[in-house]
Amino acid sequence: MSASGIMEAILTLTDVSWRHKIRDFSTWKPWAKRDGPGIHSINLEIKSGIILGLIGPNGAGKSTLMRAICGLYDSAGFDKSSPSRRRSVGYMPEQVRWEGRISVRNSLQTIALMRNNEVDIDNLIRKVGLSSKSESFLDDLSQGMRQRLSLACALLGEPKILVMDEPLNGLDPLAQRAFCNLLKDLASKGVAIVISSHQVTDLESLVDRIALLHHGQLLIEGTLPNVRKKLDLSEDSGIVDMICSVTGIEPEDISLDLSNDDMIPFKQIGGEEE
Amino acid sequence: MSSSSLSWHIMKERMSAGRMLVIWPLLAIFILFSSWGLSDPKANLPAELVIDSAYDVMFASTAFIVLSATMGAVLISFDGVSRDRLSGVLEIKLSQPISRSIYARALLLGHWGAIFTPVLLLNIISLGIIWYRLDDLPSMEELFIHTLATGLLLLWYTMLQLLASSWAKDLGSSIAIGLGLWMIFTLLWLVLTTVTAGLLGVGVENLNSQEFVRIEAIIDLFSPNGVYHHLLELPLSDINRGVSPFVVSIAAILWSVIPLQLFIRRMERMIP
Repeated sequence: MSASGIMEAILTLTDVSWRHKIRDFSTWKPWAKRDGPGIHSINLEIKSGIILGLIGPNGAGKSTLMRAICGLYDSAGFDKSSPSRRRSVGYMPEQVRWEGRISVRNSLQTIALMRNNEVDIDNLIRKVGLSSKSESFLDDLSQGMRQRLSLACALLGEPKILVMDEPLNGLDPLAQRAFCNLLKDLASKGVAIVISSHQVTDLESLVDRIALLHHGQLLIEGTLPNVRKKLDLSEDSGIVDMICSVTGIEPEDISLDLSNDDMIPFKQIGGEEE
Repeated sequence: MSSSSLSWHIMKERMSAGRMLVIWPLLAIFILFSSWGLSDPKANLPAELVIDSAYDVMFASTAFIVLSATMGAVLISFDGVSRDRLSGVLEIKLSQPISRSIYARALLLGHWGAIFTPVLLLNIISLGIIWYRLDDLPSMEELFIHTLATGLLLLWYTMLQLLASSWAKDLGSSIAIGLGLWMIFTLLWLVLTTVTAGLLGVGVENLNSQEFVRIEAIIDLFSPNGVYHHLLELPLSDINRGVSPFVVSIAAILWSVIPLQLFIRRMERMIP
């Protein structure tokens, strides 16, 4: 945060686009691929000390956007070749299945070596509540413990931006509360946090701003009251109402059929829907 | 960032893996027992094999290194990339600030070290066996060429298997590609050589004919095992298959550079 109290933008995304390649089988070109779904012209500022929630239905492009921020794609407007930028980002992907006869400590050491950081591994292990499991093999960890290990990897090297894809999955309610407290604590120290979660109740109480994505497009971004105002929603409306509002679904018509054409918002982009 | 500390870490991880409980005895049986058996002055060997020096024993026992150590390289490396990719750990690793080409080199050196270290240790023990049985030791030049050739052979197999592991979308495909290549180069190469020689009009009824040996030597340049044996033959003055040391060196360099570049390129472009 600057002296004036205005949050500094740590990272600015300008027209970031990325399309997944999907198989386009034909008799003469069985290896052929074509552009599939992805993200399209995303413009977003990530500010220090702010917790930004990415929300949207399945397939909206939340994970793709997060991977682009972490430098996993050579996306237009945001390539992966900048180690200095990647050093400032800590990434926690969704549901990593840590496995093997390698200890928790060893796994963290591998990632620390890749960051070229001198890290107090013991302190980090304590911070994420894995002290009793530090010498356990990855095969012996529960899903909740694996989530904690992924969190520890994200926290290695004290990144300025934390990118977390569904971090609350697999955690028990107490761990979820502790996790949210940890995120708030990190944000108060100036760390920018980008988080996606389908557990909207937890998310509403955690985030400072939200970014609503659908079909790879960023439809709206702002603080919760601001977004409610822009969408002309009542003050007690929640994230589900916001998603319904921007995607055009009536709350009483919500179904699992996400391919319904009615859901395509303001503008269509290329890909599977083409 | 230097990849050496990361390679060292990967090597230690791989050497402590459960599969080493299978690989160590396999290597020990093949390498030590072959040295013991072949250095027996009373051993009854096929007619063309004459063993009268320590290097002759080492040369003959490389047939067992080809069978066991290359299989070890496949078994150690088949999940080097694919397991992390399937589990999602590769997403975490590739989002780190390390360059992907350095990470690829570290992976390669770590996996190679995990198979080369036990083979090197067992080769040193087998030197003791040969000295005990024959009262003879190879020269420094012979020792250097044997160690270098073995190291390169394991490097080539490790590279091919890691490349397969980075291509494959699941562990089964990865090991199928690796084992398939191993079988072609180790078990089926003679069949391929014979068929090729036959198609080129070379008589295959006598596999010791000068014409067939020359064709075989050329075709061997396209196989890691073949180049390995070419390298091992360099100190042997009584073997000349018509391929110059220069050509053998070029083949060894190409076998080292091409798969390495393919692997680095694959890692740089990989989407986890």
